[in-house]
Amino acid sequence: MSSSDISSSCFNQETKLPLSPPLVEDSAFEPPGKDINEVEEKSKDIIKFTSEQLSVDEVSQLVISPFCGAISLFVGTTRNNFEGKKVISLEYEAYLPMAENEVRKICSDIRKKWPVKHIAVFHRLGLVPVSEASIIIAVSSAHRTASLEAVSYAIDTLKAKVPIWKKEMYEESSSWKRNKECFWATND
Amino acid sequence: VVEVLYFAESAEITGIRSETISVPQEIKALQLWNEIETRHPGLADIRNQVIFAVRQEYVELGHQLLLLQSGDEIAIIPPISGG
Repeated sequence: MSSSDISSSCFNQETKLPLSPPLVEDSAFEPPGKDINEVEEKSKDIIKFTSEQLSVDEVSQLVISPFCGAISLFVGTTRNNFEGKKVISLEYEAYLPMAENEVRKICSDIRKKWPVKHIAVFHRLGLVPVSEASIIIAVSSAHRTASLEAVSYAIDTLKAKVPIWKKEMYEESSSWKRNKECFWATND
Repeated sequence: VVEVLYFAESAEITGIRSETISVPQEIKALQLWNEIETRHPGLADIRNQVIFAVRQEYVELGHQLLLLQSGDEIAIIPPISGG
């Protein structure tokens, strides 16, 4: 195995690499921060808005990677109460495609801060009954700290920046909610 | 001529999801809001809580000068509540 094998395959993520890592004695070219074989698998950001019921199985499957020892998940579900009122369901709307772009920016930020592999963000739109999931975020990484922190950052930032709105439907009335994280408006 | 999109509470107040309006190419964000509020006085109720998205980038309702082109999308963004 020569070092020229390493350098040509590092830039082309589709190329198959030899199965056994080459023996390199001096400081030959090394891909920055990644195991050499990992360059094969392209990192994915999977973003989906749908009115269909969300599946934790489906979303977590999407971020599985043989190079990852951790998958971290956040699932947001509709709670049945708010300030003593009984919540029947939540109704979501979004400014697509800006919402999708803002989520892409969050994925990009995540990749600058943590060594994660795949990121999936699924958000449901329309009616979401109590106990059903309105959002699922899944992140995979080699070791757990990165994906745990990235998921936490993702939900916090989504709540602050992504143009999605929910309306709480009570028995007798309804109300447009606002996140405390919303960066331009506060509850007063 | 720009397209104004209304979401959430702002759509309920105006009763519409979108409309095209004619505004000068150079206009301050606050002036643009005033144009829109003139058409839909009910929006005064949420004036202090909304932000614009101009060509899908957030712009506060302040003195920033906007350079608009025909067909540009302006969205009225009430406080968000995703997640």
